[in-house]
Amino acid sequence: MTDLLISIFGDFYGNMLGILLNATQWTIYLSLTAFVGGGIVGLVMTVLKISPSKPLRVFASMYIWFFQSIPLLMLLFILGLGVPVFFSIDVPPWLAASVALTLFTSAYLSEVWRGALQSIPKGQWEGGTAVGMTFSQNLIYIIAPQAIRIAIPSTVGFMIQVIKGTSMAYIINYDDLMRWGKKIANSQLDGAEPFIIFPIVGLFYFALCFPLSCLSKHLEKRLNTQNR
Amino acid sequence: MFDFRFYEIWRSEEFVQVLFEGAFNSFWLTTVGGIFGFILGTGLALLQDKSVFVGLRLLARSYVEIIRNTPFVVQMFFVAFGLPILLDMQWSFFASALLAIMLNFSAYFSEIIRSGIDSTPKGQIEAAYSLGFKKYDLVKDIILPQALEKVYPSLVSQFVFLFLTTGLISEIGIEDITWAGRFISDRNFRDFEVYLVLSAIYMSMSWMFILILNGCRRKLFPWRAEK
Amino acid sequence: MNEATNNSIVIENMNKWYDDFQVLKDINLTIKQGERIVICGPSGSGKSTLIRCLNHLEIYQEGKITVNDVHVFNGMKNPEAIRVEVGMVFQSFNLFPHLTVLDNCILPQLRVLGLDKVKARETAMTFLERVKIPDQADKYPAQLSGGQQQRVAIARALCMKPQIMLFDEPTSALDPEMVNEVLDTMLELAESGMTMVCVTHEMGFAAKAADRVIFMDAGQIIEDSTPTEFFENPKHERAKEFLGQIL
Repeated sequence: MTDLLISIFGDFYGNMLGILLNATQWTIYLSLTAFVGGGIVGLVMTVLKISPSKPLRVFASMYIWFFQSIPLLMLLFILGLGVPVFFSIDVPPWLAASVALTLFTSAYLSEVWRGALQSIPKGQWEGGTAVGMTFSQNLIYIIAPQAIRIAIPSTVGFMIQVIKGTSMAYIINYDDLMRWGKKIANSQLDGAEPFIIFPIVGLFYFALCFPLSCLSKHLEKRLNTQNR
Repeated sequence: MFDFRFYEIWRSEEFVQVLFEGAFNSFWLTTVGGIFGFILGTGLALLQDKSVFVGLRLLARSYVEIIRNTPFVVQMFFVAFGLPILLDMQWSFFASALLAIMLNFSAYFSEIIRSGIDSTPKGQIEAAYSLGFKKYDLVKDIILPQALEKVYPSLVSQFVFLFLTTGLISEIGIEDITWAGRFISDRNFRDFEVYLVLSAIYMSMSWMFILILNGCRRKLFPWRAEK
Repeated sequence: MNEATNNSIVIENMNKWYDDFQVLKDINLTIKQGERIVICGPSGSGKSTLIRCLNHLEIYQEGKITVNDVHVFNGMKNPEAIRVEVGMVFQSFNLFPHLTVLDNCILPQLRVLGLDKVKARETAMTFLERVKIPDQADKYPAQLSGGQQQRVAIARALCMKPQIMLFDEPTSALDPEMVNEVLDTMLELAESGMTMVCVTHEMGFAAKAADRVIFMDAGQIIEDSTPTEFFENPKHERAKEFLGQIL
């Protein structure tokens, strides 16, 4: 890949783009980990949040509230810098970043999903109950299929927040696109000035986020026309 | 089992002072940046109206998309390190932070404000036109006030969400809350406690912002309270 | 053609389409100054569309509309000038929810007529008194009943000192018990000699106040007669059917 880039952009920029492209994969891995991890935890929290048990609901509410209120940057610091010192253990940056972003993602996703569930009219729940369905049957067969349709556009949209969020992980030395961009910008090489390198890094992020943004908008439009 | 040593933060007057100054800097930079961001965002939202010259409209749209689809850190580093070289001008890092916050917030605000503008009932526009309003007055006196009232809660939560990302300005040396945390943990090596305290500060400040902004709501939109 | 006449509104051979669908067909109508016209007809017959063309809220493709000797056409430079002379009252009131009743009446005078605040306020209070709700002046529209809101909407339109008033089903969105307060206001206005064009199904109002009743169906004017003629002896089958349903 780098060879191809070198042949197009020349030695210097080809190499640079190669490095950034290589670093981008770590941004993608982290984003996917956070999205999948956050999706799973978020799903659990969503279910707890609407479960018939009050203690579970309270727990889920507090979880969602807490991880929505705490800055992602602080989560990264606590897990990446605080935990290793406090517990005298070694936490690799990728782990700290993954956990922090998972917590962040799960809280926001469960909020989105709960909103979608709540937008399903009460009558739908009552209908299921009337024919003798349990809470979980009702949820799985009646409510969730409708809620998922509503939730998909904002879920895809939140993926953008996750990708942008990963850019903070460089602070705890996670080797991603941002970290390499900053390294190159600091290199003082001619042609790698900050006003060149940061727009390029931005372009890389844009290339990841913009398609998702378009997809999210497209899905939302389709949902709106279907509901009409 | 756990050996919490929060007093390692309180015992030093210097640490406490750094925290206070950090909180103050975060507060005013976010507030001022937010206000300018709101003004710019409103302008960007209006520029995306169908009646605006297509080039200008496209420019506003592209700006919003670029900001919304790239991370704040990248924008901030560009503003702090790239832009001064590019424009051959020097400015302080405070100015960079303020500018970065303003530019960043404006795109998110504009998207929200635009959704409010788009949801203006047709009848309101027809009523204003039938009374002889020109487009400019229609937008300024009828559409915008109603749109802002409608999206105010979204603007508040977006503002608070963005506030939580401003810790990154410590990366260009702004002595904000996050900077204070790093300052302290570099000296007492109690990273865990320091960042817990920092989180609590951020949380209470978000809370305060929400309280203040919700308090303003009644003043800003008196018709809403009377409903 | 251009010299002043005492015709308020002249519509000649007017046609209007929404895409391929023709909503108004070959409309010819002349309304003299001081005339009170009631337009009725089944829903979808184009009556609202017709009066919305008069103040350029909607455009038309063929024919010619002249309002107060001004040609109203698609692409006209200054539709505001004609809109000031033509007041309009809507089915859904369309008061500005963020302004008090008084400010609803004042703001258009400031912005459109360029009056100063004191003068505008005076005018506003005069007309709020005329529609009998001066005591609600400082409330917001949402705090008022539908009937009160519609009366404010009438007052707001009158504040602009229009020469023609258009009513687009002004009582259709009201609870039955509030219809009369609005009709009374309209009757009073009719007695004052205002040129009025009302799209309404209130046949009582038509009988009392209208000089002519116009019946529309499928985008065409198919009857244009005095109320007595129209009620007692409608010429067209569709008009008979319509009256049968509505009375």
